[in-house]
Amino acid sequence: MPQTVTASLIKIITVLHEPDGYIDLILYNPSIAKNAGPGQFVMMKAAPVNDPILPRPFDIVDTFPREGTFRLLIKINGRGTALMNSLKPGDDVFITGPLGKPITDFSFSSCAVLFRGCGAAAVLMFIREAKKRGITVYGIASAASSDKLVCKSEISALCDEYLVATDDGSLGLQALGTEVLKNIVEGEGVDRIYSCGGGPFYLPYLMEVQDRLPVYLFLESYMGCGVGHCHGCAVPKKSRPGDPVQYTLVCQEGPLYKLDEVEDPCQIYQ
Amino acid sequence: MPDLSVTFAGITFKNPVVPASGTWEPLDAPDTGLAMSELGAVVNKTIFKEPRAGNPPPRIWETASGMLNAIGIPSAGADDFIKKKLPKIRKHADKVIVSIAGYTADEFAWLAKKIEQTGMADMIELNLSCPNIESHTSWSTDPALLAQAIVAVKKAVKLPVIAKLSPNVTDIAEMCLVSESSGADALTLVNTFRGMAIDIKVKKPALGNIFGGLSGPAIKPLALYAVYTAYERVKIPIIGMGGIASWQDALEFILAGATLVGIGMYTFVNPLCMRHVISGLSNYCSEQNIEKLSDCIGKAHPAT
Repeated sequence: MPQTVTASLIKIITVLHEPDGYIDLILYNPSIAKNAGPGQFVMMKAAPVNDPILPRPFDIVDTFPREGTFRLLIKINGRGTALMNSLKPGDDVFITGPLGKPITDFSFSSCAVLFRGCGAAAVLMFIREAKKRGITVYGIASAASSDKLVCKSEISALCDEYLVATDDGSLGLQALGTEVLKNIVEGEGVDRIYSCGGGPFYLPYLMEVQDRLPVYLFLESYMGCGVGHCHGCAVPKKSRPGDPVQYTLVCQEGPLYKLDEVEDPCQIYQ
Repeated sequence: MPDLSVTFAGITFKNPVVPASGTWEPLDAPDTGLAMSELGAVVNKTIFKEPRAGNPPPRIWETASGMLNAIGIPSAGADDFIKKKLPKIRKHADKVIVSIAGYTADEFAWLAKKIEQTGMADMIELNLSCPNIESHTSWSTDPALLAQAIVAVKKAVKLPVIAKLSPNVTDIAEMCLVSESSGADALTLVNTFRGMAIDIKVKKPALGNIFGGLSGPAIKPLALYAVYTAYERVKIPIIGMGGIASWQDALEFILAGATLVGIGMYTFVNPLCMRHVISGLSNYCSEQNIEKLSDCIGKAHPAT
């Protein structure tokens, strides 16, 4: 696999603690800034401790090749990410990346991109690339409440239309993101749907609509190494009844999959 | 430059650091900068005769200073390995240890022979101890079965044979003695410790396979004990592994009696770990005026 992957200590340039519950980092590494593509991620270990021991995967939100920097958005939701709360500019973190398969298929003219919570971090580079190629992008941001919307200004500035659905109605429509998506599919119409996050809530509609147009998912999985050595992030591929089950490694072949390529995404798509 | 080379079952390795089978896949994973040629030897992920898909997810679960895994040894099978992977490993690696497994003693012997016939392996490691395949640990938890597999392989091949054993027994040194008397040329100690975790969010076992194997720094004292006690009982050399995260850890295993040391789970934490262990051992020898690292093997044992 001819891909340049950096594995080294990398310096943090800036740290923002916003929105609440997130850490927004800019890190310096010209190679990652130059080579990372949409859909790719890095593995990050914030401190040289053995508990927690494994590095964690984070989507590359954006790259700034001229400055030699890239951006990560970390949602604090466990022991590993809680440790990252004390990171400050000048600190070194161990990073391996860019990892995963960069998205290169932009052979369509319009798409709807549905994302929930920090799923926004995974889709921002993809939307930027799609817009560079003149693709019409409907961005549909969904969250529990308006203060949980991330990358709002960046994504809304890029999209042709930026629509919001919140569970509590504090912004946009008080509805599931898929209801907004349905309006677009049945109204203006799009060539493709891309979805990240919100699995159990989104899947019923996505499963239904995939008969009419291609649906793509940004998948998540438990990862040990993120590189392909541990085989920990396997998800079952769609197989015909009676055929032996085959697995795909999200770290190597993902994170983007067509919905009908993977088996039982309800269980694995969280 | 201190001499890091070691002689193991009649073969000289330029340094003692090897990957634990199944934890470093230089041909499949993107290049993170570590070359096969830097290592004492390259060890492949265990192959069976036929392809294996592996276990259902979740396959890994982080624990205190360690990780449970129930990967289930996915591979494309022996033919694919011999045709597509082994020639590339042979081309780039200094020494090649081929890890194999079978469901019967005959299958072990058949596969060992097939590997030997390629002329591309320096040694064969018998994975007699993966905890994540139904009934598989019985090879190295039942002395009669252990002897049966090793004897069958030794009859089939001339290459040196390493028995990789499970720590999930009352007295691993006993199993080491059985391996030695059955003709094994060397031992790998240890495979993972059987364990499990419960995901309290869903009140179910965390791993898709329910049970898994524990590795990482959490098991290092247990693995070191196995190597130390085995060294006192057997004459055949040992690849020591289990939780090695640094050159200091590797040195402990060497002092306990390991000739080669395996790095496994820590490659997941830092893909360059093996390089750091090699350079760390070299620096240690320089600072301590140790000309040959091999002089350290077993030095923690009382002088006889």
